[in-house]
Parts: sequence; structure tokens; C-alpha cells
Amino acid sequence: MSLLGGLTFSYPWLLAALAALPAIWFLLRVTPPAPRRVPFPPLRLLLGLDAPEETPARTPWWLLLLRIIAAAFIIIALAAPVIGENKAPVTNGPLVLFIDNGWTAAHNWDDRQSLIEETLDAAARAERPVALVATADPQTTIDLLDAGKAERIARELAPRSWLPDRKGALAALAKTKFAGKPEIVWLSDDVDHGDAIATSEALAKIGSLTVYRDARGKGPLALEPEDATASGYTVPVLRGDSEGARDGLVEAIGARGERLGGGEFHFLPGKSEADAKIGVPPEVRNQIRKLTISNEHAAGATRLLGADARHKEVGLVSAINVESEQPLLSDLYYLERALGPFADLHKGTIEDALTRKVSVLLLADIGRIAGADYDRVEKFVREGGVLIRFAGPRMTENTDDLVPVKLRNGGRYLGGAMAWAEPQHLAPFPDASPFRGLTVPEEVTVSRQILAEPSVELSERSWARLSDGTPLVTAAQRGKGWVVLFHVTAGPGWSSLPLSGLYVDMLRRLMDLSSGVRPAELARDADASFAPLSVLDGFGEMHKPSADILPIRGGELVRATPSAKHPAGLYGAEGAEIAFNAANRDTLLTPLPELRAIMQTYAGATTIALQSPLLVIAILLLLADAVLSLWLRGLLVVPRLPRGLGRTAGLFLIALVLMPQHSRADDAFDMKAALDTRLAYVITGVSDVDDMSRAGLTGLGLILKTRTSYLPEAPLGIDLDRDDLSFFPLIYWPMDPRQKELSPQAISKLSDYMRNGGTLLIDTRDRTLGGEPNNSPGTQTLRRLLGKLDLPPLQPVPADHVLTKTFYLLQTFPGRWEGGKVWVEALPPAEPGAAPSPARGGDGVSPVIIGGNDWASAWAVDNTGQPIAAVSSGSTMQREMAYRFGVNVVMYALTGNYKTDQVHVPALLQRLGKEK
Amino acid sequence: MTQTLREDAERAAGALPPLLVAAERLSSAVSLGVHGRRKAGIGESFWQFRRYQSEDAAQNIDWRQSARSQNLYVREREWEAAEAVWLWRDATAGMRYHSSGATTTKADRATVLTLALASLLIRGGERIALIGQDRPPSTGRVALNRLAHVLIDSAPGDAALPPEAPVTKNSQAVWFSDFLSPLNDIETAMKRLARAGLSGHLVHIIDPAEQDFPFTGRTRFESIEGALTALFGRAESVRDGYRARFKAHGEALSTLARRMGWSYLAHRTDKSAQAALVALYAHVGGDRKKG
Repeated sequence: MSLLGGLTFSYPWLLAALAALPAIWFLLRVTPPAPRRVPFPPLRLLLGLDAPEETPARTPWWLLLLRIIAAAFIIIALAAPVIGENKAPVTNGPLVLFIDNGWTAAHNWDDRQSLIEETLDAAARAERPVALVATADPQTTIDLLDAGKAERIARELAPRSWLPDRKGALAALAKTKFAGKPEIVWLSDDVDHGDAIATSEALAKIGSLTVYRDARGKGPLALEPEDATASGYTVPVLRGDSEGARDGLVEAIGARGERLGGGEFHFLPGKSEADAKIGVPPEVRNQIRKLTISNEHAAGATRLLGADARHKEVGLVSAINVESEQPLLSDLYYLERALGPFADLHKGTIEDALTRKVSVLLLADIGRIAGADYDRVEKFVREGGVLIRFAGPRMTENTDDLVPVKLRNGGRYLGGAMAWAEPQHLAPFPDASPFRGLTVPEEVTVSRQILAEPSVELSERSWARLSDGTPLVTAAQRGKGWVVLFHVTAGPGWSSLPLSGLYVDMLRRLMDLSSGVRPAELARDADASFAPLSVLDGFGEMHKPSADILPIRGGELVRATPSAKHPAGLYGAEGAEIAFNAANRDTLLTPLPELRAIMQTYAGATTIALQSPLLVIAILLLLADAVLSLWLRGLLVVPRLPRGLGRTAGLFLIALVLMPQHSRADDAFDMKAALDTRLAYVITGVSDVDDMSRAGLTGLGLILKTRTSYLPEAPLGIDLDRDDLSFFPLIYWPMDPRQKELSPQAISKLSDYMRNGGTLLIDTRDRTLGGEPNNSPGTQTLRRLLGKLDLPPLQPVPADHVLTKTFYLLQTFPGRWEGGKVWVEALPPAEPGAAPSPARGGDGVSPVIIGGNDWASAWAVDNTGQPIAAVSSGSTMQREMAYRFGVNVVMYALTGNYKTDQVHVPALLQRLGKEK
Repeated sequence: MTQTLREDAERAAGALPPLLVAAERLSSAVSLGVHGRRKAGIGESFWQFRRYQSEDAAQNIDWRQSARSQNLYVREREWEAAEAVWLWRDATAGMRYHSSGATTTKADRATVLTLALASLLIRGGERIALIGQDRPPSTGRVALNRLAHVLIDSAPGDAALPPEAPVTKNSQAVWFSDFLSPLNDIETAMKRLARAGLSGHLVHIIDPAEQDFPFTGRTRFESIEGALTALFGRAESVRDGYRARFKAHGEALSTLARRMGWSYLAHRTDKSAQAALVALYAHVGGDRKKG
């Protein structure tokens, strides 16, 4: 009874409806089930027949019971029973809900929401006025609402991507006048935020205070700024309490929400920080848009990655690579160290780098980009690439024009033993420079540089200057891309810039140039302003920014934490967006201290609402009732078991017997085709043509057996739709107008066959190809069937084609008819001036040989070996020549260009002899 | 297009409708059994010699017989004229019914029997005709095909009874139906045929469900036209009553037929059509021998 002890009903008066159940019972009893309908021709004989028993048809008692139970369940469900403690209101005074709805509350928001709902439900029953105070939503005044309206507002309440402002909320609450002493429920986020005690004291002054906090081990988690590593990221994870161990998973999520990688973290007992190492393959690294703790659903557990987190593909080319083999890599070494953590580097020649599709190309001390490379680089820049060049000894003389400004020959020495001037410091960066906002360290000096010829545009093209005004970095736009020149070397030879952090920052900014961003937008100084691109809600989901979100200043971006004015999200221009994350290095998740108030924990739903399960049970019962009713009416056919079983078993047996047979048949064909090299013909579906093909290839096979070393087995017919063609070196295909259109599979199979070295011998059987107007039925069929095939360019067999020499020396190719032309793949033209070769063949065999002489008929023999069809001239010689052509074609298909090479044997032997 | 081509081809090749094929198969199976008897009475065979009379044609004289004596004899044969058999098949919607116990509808079975009988008769040299068709009885393959087309192509109508139409005298009528029309109507139709000089046979086609009444439970019976219904809370409770009625109906039909000198044959569609055909052919053939 302990379970039922807590059973209460929200609408107990509805239970009165249970009294109506007997009435329902009675109604259901007298309503008979719908009858089965049967068509019956001799109905006339039935009319007037009286059933001897007059009792009305009854619904069976068990069905009735089922329905009554379903009805009872519905009534009880409508009364909304609840198991659990029933919070009786302490007073009838006003209720204040003081809700922390920063991202720190988001991970457990459902519990908070249900607590709010329950409390408001109770308040509604007691008709208490309610004030809702959401600490993360800036409020100036707080209104007392009736509980129903408060419930509607509370349903809209959501966590924000910034931290709560308890002081502001308290100030607003303090101004509110209450009729009596209010009961205050503080639904805290269980984070101190440094003002918990002050807040609780202030609240306790206003009314009686109850504080809710997270259960142990269920506090919020946050992700601190990530560190890029070679294989991915390392992210520190922060938790509030440090009790017990806690495990979790940080996932790397792409632009479309796809999971690209992940890493686990384990909090040791007593520790409030743990690292998650996320490994991602380098290919997908740039697709990562955010890191998030799985199942945490909070803005603080989500880290957006800005454009600077994306790795650029960077080509590194040094003069050394090009001009000497000496491994003197010092220039490249500094660039590698500077760019390595945030770019994928490809070293090698300019050509190598550009073929790797780099977006930024760095050239260290390459004086002149030579020849073809110049065109490549010029094209690369014009199409949007960023070329960053560093000066060096080679650039002092005679450079090319892929530089932003005209350079003066010879360098400038400062501070050397023979020089007048001291090494120069850097001047602050000009406004138009992408480096604006970077701090210039004092210790960076430049002792040698390349000077630019003075010109009008020099000042606007200078992105960095020395303190004497001479340019250090110049840049100019070329086409869609940029050319940037550092007037010093990439290594520390000419300046100490490569030794400073500024060098890294400058290079990083330049990487983003390739995203098509204007240089000024790259600057991140305090005054630059960045419009929001997309913002996070408290659950860590991205949204379009609403109109009232203001652009953020660069200064705030660095210092400030997100607020209602500037929520966490991505700011800046597309391609150079800056991540403004909810949690940063200063984030602290210290749990609430013990307060002088009633402390309770969110225990999930403290009550269990039984309404939904009861309704589900009722619906299931009604469904069962529907099925049973159908069965009673005979509308549901339940096959008698033995018969049904027999039928099913029969079907299974049939399936079992049929399926392996089918595959066995295929296997048999494949085995047959694979174990012997066979001649094959296409089954056209026209039986006389197919019979002739088979007889023809049989006859040709006999000739091959007697005359050559090739001993073919009986020929096979091929169904283009079903069979695998790859076993056959040569397929004979007679054209018949009655043949059906090829299926797309057959066409792709044929083109695969031809591409992979097979030969189709196509016979139009009309002797009209070439010469006569070729619109005979065979040719038309050829066009119809092969129109969709990718045929190579064809030519009539030239006199020196290898087909005329593979076994017999032939110049005509008669079949049953004589004289038609035979077409093969066009050979590459003979090289002019080459010695006339006795035989020419392409590389490999012609994928198709087309003629119209009806060869199969000439070859065809019956079972006794006698020819079946007469040849046109009637002479034995013509049939002999037809066989010779057949032998040549088969040899051609089998040996490929081996025969072509054979003609060189005498020349090779002669050459070998000479060398000896 | 291929569809029409194929149909044309079938028509050209004279392919038979499946029912006709079934009927042919059925009749050929029967004919094997009664072959010898049938040959004996067709009319080719000798009946008697009779003295030549002046009105006889000279070509009828049997010269061999005449040579044995002084007189001229004419050879008379049995049954010089073939008999006409008039067929009628009920084609009402109710005939298109079959219960789960039977594989064919009553109409199909009736059509098959009609055609098979016609095929047998034609092979025996008789002439056949369908009552209501404006054609004299004819014989041969053409007549059978024509009959098949009329029977198979005819849509179900409400002509349960043979219409009033001219028939040849002294012929036989074979009437296939489920005979669910009122007995009075059936009797009227039979009398009309009898007045026209026809003697006949009733073939009562019965669906097994109609005879056995296997229904149980709450059932609403509907006539095929859907106009009438009868609802029974427990169908099994009226089973005995119905069976008695159905039996009485059959007996009434049988009595009626006997009284008119007709024969009556009941045939269930779950039974073999061949048995029915043999019995039926024996009746028709027996009648002919009598006449």
C-alpha cells in the first residue's frame, strides 16, 4: 500500500464517471456485434425461416469485460492520477520562482522545467499569485501573474548562452510589492558565481526561501578553450563539484551535425578538471565546426571553432628546393614552426605545391620565379590564391613582377659593423592593415631589408612599417588573390621578427586572406566591430541571430563573456568568423555553498504522472478489442493451422529449391566459360540466326583445332542481360532486325567489355557496309543497337593492319558473301618518316570489328562436319578464305599486339648481333 | 499495340476460349466410353429393305439385294434425319456465384457442360441451337464455335428462363440452371417448351454451399442483386430448416420434370463435370433412341 499511499488525483470528481460503468456494460450487452455478410443466391429459400432460439446475439462476456476495463482505464486516466508526494501549499501568499537560466542550468533543464510545472500546478490549485524571475533574462520590473499565465510564460522559458545576472534580478525583485510575505523558490544552477550567499541572504529577507540545487555528480560541465594538436584537439573539461569519478565524451561535430571524431574524458575523484583528447583524421579536420560534450546540451559544453581553427593548405617553397640539393632549411624551419599548428604544409617545388591545391603559397627567398612556374603562380594568384614571399639575398637583384611593389635593387643594412644606422623597430600597424590590433613587441628589430621604390600606392600597400617608415610588409591584390611580400627573410637572418610571437600572429592573419576576406576585416583590434553570424542558445544549438543582437567590438570579444547583448556565437565575416564561446579560461563552476535556507535537490520528476501510461493501456485494450471484433465477424481470416503451415512450408521449400538452382545455373555457365577459352556469340533471340551462329563458331572451332595450337571447346551463346562477358576474348554478334532493344545494363556491360580489351565481331550480314547506300536492315539494326555504345573511331582495315597477318596473310575477308569492307578501330597514323612497318596495330586489340559478309554462314557445319550454307561464288576457295579470316580474327583477339611486335623480331635480332 | 496484335493473332489462329477448350477436353473424355454404342444408332446403319416403289429414287435401289430376287429393293437406313437439341443456359447474376467450397462458379460449370454436350452431340451428327437465337439448329465446328462465343461473351442478364422463341418441333431441350426462380415460372416455361413439341432435361447446377449450408454465427445473407437480406443471429440454427427446404425444392423440380416427361439431373459444382456429362448424355442419347 505504500505505493498507493501516494496516489492522488488531479481531478478526483471525474472518478464519479466510474459509476456509469454498469450502464456501459448494459449498453454493450444489448448491442450485438455486426454480422458477417455472405452473398447467397438461394436467399429466397431462407426468407421466412425462423431461428428456433430467439435470444439476441451476445457479445462474448470476455470481450465485454475487455471493453469495460478499457473504459475504466480511460476514466481513471482522465482523472490524472499522480503517484508521489503532493506538495500542499504552505501558505496562500504569493509565490516567487527565482530561476537561474544561464547555460549552467541547461544540462538539467528538463528537471527544472518539471519542477516549475509542478510548483505552478500546485499554485494554480491554491490560486496563488506568482512572480517569475529569470536571472539570465534582463528584467526591470516583475509582475505578479495568476498561475495559469505564469505557466504559459514558464513554458517559453529557456536557458541562455550566457551566465545569469542574479544581482540585476534581485534589484528588480526588490522593487516589487507583495501583498503578504512571499514564498520564494530559487531554482539555482548550483554554481556559486561569487554571489550565491549574497543572493540567498537578499532573498531570505524578502520571503521564506527554498533553494534547489543539482544532485551530487550532476552539476554542469564546461569546455575550456581548446588546444590544436597535430592529430586533433585537446580540450580541458571543467566540472563544478569534484566528488567521485565522472566520465564523458567530447565530440567533434561538422557543419551538418555529422560526428567527425571524439575523445573521452575521465574526472578522477577530487579533480574538477580533465582533458579530452580528440583525434580526427587530417582530411576532416577543417570540417569541424564545434566541439561538444555529448548528451550535455549546454552552451558551455559547446565550443564553436572560428575560421582560425581551420587548417589552410599551405605550400612551402624555398630557393633551396629549387636551386640546390643542400639541406639548408633554416628559412623553412621557422615557417614550419610558425604555421605547423594551424596549417597543413606541403613542401617541394612550386609545381608540387600548386598541384596539391594549396590556398596559400609561401616562397622563401626566391628571386625570380622561372619559366612555367611563373605562369602557374600567376594563374594561382589571379584565381584567388595568396602568395606570400619572403625577401632574401636572391631577391636583392632582378626580381620578377609578382611582388606588390617595385623593389629597389640591393638591400639595406642597418646596424652592421659598417653601417651608420641602428637596427630598426617596428612601427604600430596602419589602420588598413590586417595586422591592426596586434601588439608590437619592443624587442623585434630589423637589421636588413629590401627597399621599395617610392611610389604613390606604396603607403596604402604597406601593411607593416619600420619605425622610420620604410615598408616591412607590402601587399597588393592581383585578380582575386593577393601577393604579400615580407621585406625580410623567413628566418632570423635579417631580423628577429621570426623569433617573436608576432611572426606567428601575422602569418595566421594572412592565412585567412585566402578565404576571400577583405584585409581590414582580418584586423581584430579593440575598435573593430563584428556582426553576429550565428548565435548559440543555452542548449548549444546554433540559430540565426535575431535583429536586436548588436555587433561586438574587438576589445569586448577578447575580454568579455557572453551576455544578453552579445550572446555566444560566431561573429565577423563569413570565412573569417570568430568564435565567441560561452565558457572561457576564466569560467568557474564552483558549486553553491551551504546556504541558510531549505536546500533541496532536483530529483527528476518527484511525482509520477500516471495519465499517459493509463491512456496507452486503454488504447492497447481497444486495439485488441478491434482485432477480436473483426475476428468475431469473420473479417479477419485466420487460416486453419495445419493447412496454413503446410502452405507456408511448401512455399519455403519451393523457394529453397528454386534459389540455389538459379545460382547454380549461373555458376555452371561461369565455370564453363572460365575453365576453357571459348568462342562466343550473342543470342539475338531469333532462333535461326542463333543456330547459324552456333554452327558457324563450331565450324570455325574445328578449323582452329586442326590448324592452330588453340583448341576451343564448344561455343557458348551469351545472353547480354544475364551473362558475364569478361570470359570471352571474342564475341560474334550477328545483326538481325528482329533483335530486341538492348537494356541499359547490357549496354554498360558491352562498353565495359570493349574498354577492358574484349573484341566484338559484328556481322551485319548484308555486305553493304561501305560503298553502297548503307541503310540495309543489318546496318539499321547496327545503328539501333549500338547507337548508345561508345564506339571508337573506325576505319576500313588498312592493308598493313595486323589483322591481315596474325596467322594467314590475307587482303580480303570473305564470308558467305565476298567483297564487303571490314571496319576496325582507326589506327594512329603512321609516324611520318618512320620506316614502313610490315604490320601496324594499335595498342591492344580493336574493341570492335564490323563487317557484313555473313561469316558464320560460311563457317557453319552440321553434325557430320558438312558445310550448311553455300558461299556466294560457290567455290571452295571462298570458304577456305572465310575460314582463314576466322582464324586470323581469333588469333588477333587472343594474341593482341604480340603479333605486331613479332614483325620487329628480325630487326631486334640484327641489332643484338651488332652489339655482340 | 502488342496486345491488339496478339488478340488479332489469336482470333486469326482460331484459338478457342478456355471454357470451350475445357468443354472439348471433357467431351472427348466422355466419347471414348460410349464410342461403340454411339456409332450404332446414328443413321448410317442399315434399318430394313423394302420393296421399291415408284416414287423412290433410282439411286436408292440396293442393286446387290435386288439381284438376289426378282424384286427391286430399296435400302432404308435408321434415323435418316438428325435430331435437333435446343440448349438453354441460365445466365443470371446468381449463377456467377461460387462459395469457398467450390472452385468454379455455377455459370462457368453450366457453360462448360453446355459446350461439352454440344460438342458431343455435334460429333454424333446432331444439330444444336440455343433457344432465343434466331438460327435454325446447325451442326459442325462452326456451330460449336458460334455457340461458344454466344455463351461466353454474353453478359449476365436476368434471363433465368428460356425466352419465348420459335423452336423446331420434336426436338429436345436441355436446360442448365440453378432453378432458383419460382417453381411456377419454371413450370410455365417448361409447359411452353413442351407445347412447342420439345421434350427435355433439366440440369440443376448446385453450389455445395447452397446444399450444405455450412454457415455459422451471426450472418447476414444477401441476395446477389443485393436487394434482399436475411439476418440470423446463429446461422447454424436455421441449417436444418434450410436444408429441408432446399431438398423439397429439388424434389419439387424433379417431380415437375417427371410429370412433364422430362428428366432431371442435379449436379454439384464441387463434383466432377465428367460424371454429370456422362449421365446427361445418357439421358439425351436415351431419349433419342426412344424416339
